[in-house]
Amino acid sequence: MKKQEVERLIEIEKRIKEIAEESGLLTTEITFEITTAQRVLEGMAYEFPVNFSHWTFGRDYEKYRTIYEHTGAGIPYEQVWNFDKPKAFLVETNPLALNIMVIAHVYGHVDFFLANRYLKHGRSFSNVAEEARNASRRFKEYEARYGQNEVEKIIDAGMSIQWHQNPDPFFEEQDEEVVRERLMAFERAQLERFEDVKSKFKKQETKEEVEQIEKRLEKLSAKTPPEPTHDLLNYIIKKSPKPLKPWMVDVLTVIRNQARSLAPNRKTKGLDEGWATYWHVRIMRRLFNEKLLTEGEFSTSLKAEEHGVFNKFNASVTQESKAGFNWYRIYLALFENIKERWDKGQFGREYEEERNAFKHSRWDTAVGLGNQKIFQVRSFYSDRMAVEEFFTDEFIREQQLYIWMGLPGDNGEVVYVIAEDDPEVIREILKNQFTYYGVPLVKVENGNYNSQNQLLLKHVWNGYELDKKYLNATLDKVYYLWGKKVFLGTIVDGKEAEISFTHEKKQKT
Amino acid sequence: MPIIVSEPVTERGRKDARRHREKQKEAIINKLPEIIADESIITQRKNKIIKIPIRSIDLPRFRPKTGDESEGIGQGSGQPGDVIGHRPGQGQPGEPGQEPGEDYIETEVEIEEIIELMLEDLGLPKLEEKEVKELLVELGFKVGGIVRSGSWPLLDRRATAQEGMRRFWVFLETIKAETGFDELTCFNALKQANGLLEKAVEIIKQNQVTFKEPAITPFPIFETGDLRYREIQQDTENQSNAVIIAMRDVSGSMNDMKVYLVSAMLFWLVRWLENVYKKVEIRFVAHDVTARIVSEEDFFKIGSSGGTNCYTAYELANGLIDTEYPTSRWNVYVWHFSDGEDFSPERTIEELGKLINKDVNMVGYGEVQPDADLGLFKRDRSELWQKFKEHFSLKETQDNGLGIAEGDKELPLLCVRLMEREQILPALKAFLKKDRWTQ
Repeated sequence: MKKQEVERLIEIEKRIKEIAEESGLLTTEITFEITTAQRVLEGMAYEFPVNFSHWTFGRDYEKYRTIYEHTGAGIPYEQVWNFDKPKAFLVETNPLALNIMVIAHVYGHVDFFLANRYLKHGRSFSNVAEEARNASRRFKEYEARYGQNEVEKIIDAGMSIQWHQNPDPFFEEQDEEVVRERLMAFERAQLERFEDVKSKFKKQETKEEVEQIEKRLEKLSAKTPPEPTHDLLNYIIKKSPKPLKPWMVDVLTVIRNQARSLAPNRKTKGLDEGWATYWHVRIMRRLFNEKLLTEGEFSTSLKAEEHGVFNKFNASVTQESKAGFNWYRIYLALFENIKERWDKGQFGREYEEERNAFKHSRWDTAVGLGNQKIFQVRSFYSDRMAVEEFFTDEFIREQQLYIWMGLPGDNGEVVYVIAEDDPEVIREILKNQFTYYGVPLVKVENGNYNSQNQLLLKHVWNGYELDKKYLNATLDKVYYLWGKKVFLGTIVDGKEAEISFTHEKKQKT
Repeated sequence: MPIIVSEPVTERGRKDARRHREKQKEAIINKLPEIIADESIITQRKNKIIKIPIRSIDLPRFRPKTGDESEGIGQGSGQPGDVIGHRPGQGQPGEPGQEPGEDYIETEVEIEEIIELMLEDLGLPKLEEKEVKELLVELGFKVGGIVRSGSWPLLDRRATAQEGMRRFWVFLETIKAETGFDELTCFNALKQANGLLEKAVEIIKQNQVTFKEPAITPFPIFETGDLRYREIQQDTENQSNAVIIAMRDVSGSMNDMKVYLVSAMLFWLVRWLENVYKKVEIRFVAHDVTARIVSEEDFFKIGSSGGTNCYTAYELANGLIDTEYPTSRWNVYVWHFSDGEDFSPERTIEELGKLINKDVNMVGYGEVQPDADLGLFKRDRSELWQKFKEHFSLKETQDNGLGIAEGDKELPLLCVRLMEREQILPALKAFLKKDRWTQ
């Protein structure tokens, strides 16, 4: 990039920050790094500016690069990290107007990072970016010492279960003894209720109840984990009888922390992108009106061209996807929809109970609460909450969402048809998607199963069986970390089953 | 400074992408037994390029099974029932298709690459062309050069004229040297003598030169040996040629599974030979109690019925080699697949012996016994197999249930016994082991 262009970007970035602040967005100092497309693609694939080496990252990098180089689509433009000092990439070869749009978009994201409760929490664990950078160095040493294959095996195993954490991102894992003490205190308190009763009445039922509590207490004193835990990696790191070597623990800890810090992003991806798009559209509009993009010493005649470039990219970011869920488009529309509804007072009981369709659709009390409402949504909502509350029948119909399905045609052809457009069904599917993100709930039930240090996992039923294709391979990874037979309680073909896994032997019991 | 220009960084992405490709390759090799046993590939044998989609490798994870994998959320105008897109059919039905919204890239592997991988995996060196028998192919005639004798129609006028002119100048110089007269005198004398050297010298010596020509105008003079003819040569080229005589038992005992095993074996064997030789000819022989040459299509289609005389097939192969594919000019592979039920094994051995004596590259006998372990008869090896073994003193080995019996260095006979589709790859491996008899 030419020095002049960089200077112009710096100038415009200052103005964007001012506009953002005027609009009520939270800002901080953002580092914009001007770099190559490859670097951005790498950033996209590796999740962090610098991260350890792994083939899945390489695979994604190659995928993005192939799309970029061979189709011209998928121009890398936006990569910003939720760090205490947020960092974003600008691609040196991208047109200036696109880079300006990216800066505006990034200011939207950064406000979201600073204000949204989930993303605030995502930053609270540790400085993951710095950790990732250091991990990359340490893992390289491990490779040199223990061999690439050994390190890869541990990373593979860790990554294959890294998303199994407590679904509540605010949940703090406690030390096992603390949990045990809490649970036992509860049982003891139960017992106290019977103290007097025991001696005086000695009713049969009471006696049984007391015995049961005592049995539970007895069990609790030795049970591991004292109560089932969602955090698979955490438990394995602490309790694996393999035993894990210190460097293995280090690798697994890094992988767990990365997943934990990224989980809040996954829960808010839609709102985050929608919010950033909502603001880049508005900021760009102001810039064009102010003619900042086209005047001054840098350029005088680019107005039409730059506006054209912006329009083109903006349109491609927000285009309709026949067979996909375009977050940018749908969540941009959602914020616009919320703003309009709350500006016109289209909420609350009175509005909802209005049976006159004409009145209902023309409802406008001019309360002007739109802006306040969208800022509230950005601060406190996750994607799932937004679906529940704002994906109304009207909104889903207006957005023309549907469920499509691939049906077999002639000669192995697949024909994709619209299968369903009932808002109720679509909302349910979205809610489900945004609750689990394709990660079924699996808990550690027992770390000393059969009194032989075997591991019992339990799949928490939520309506979907586990895909058999991946079951044994995943259990193999867990087995690699645990070193002893691993069991999984789940439902197979409608029946409860306990699948066990030891090496090279797969069997159902 | 909020905007910085960064330094170029290391190419970590490329390095890790290479590792992913390695893993893909590993996955293909691990899947080879399945890939090569895939019926949809085999039934497509008319197409030379067959692509097998290999997806990106992913880490295994617990995933919810969402029923029909091919569904998702989309956006746009339309009613339920409206078509929003198509995906054209691919080589592999049954493979869940790439949904339009899903963003992974399929790697496609061509059949050649799979063969390469097979060779790599099996440790089979690819045969170098120079190692196979070279066959001289007559392409017709071509003009090769110029010679001093030939038939009149082949006279090369231009070359002959040149010779004639050369002869003139040689004569002229000779006359000058012998008589000491000037050039013009000598020329006139030569002209008067009609190009005869001795006569011209005589004319000058007797002073009978009549000066008809005022200047020297050379003319061609021909003596025997001055005529030049074009030479015609035969045009030939060295090619490596191979013929496969594929023979199949179509007797009543050949059920679907046996037919499938036979088809799969032949498909890959042919592919492999095509890779090694420039030209492969395949002759198909089907037999029950009698053998006949059939088309490729019929070869796989013929229903099974009747009894079995294996020797008729070997007899026919012997005939084919004698008349069309002499081993002096052809690399000959004879492959016979049967379930080993034969009415007259003695005669089969006799014909097989003749075949081996013809110096063929290989006789391969594949016995398919998919029900061998069903226990009812507990009959393990067929009578034919046993007879082959005894008569040719074959050495039998076992490789994961796959029976292999082979001859010694002098005897290019190999028998394999396969019972299930998983054994196709090991059986191929046994068949294709490099030049086991030539070293």
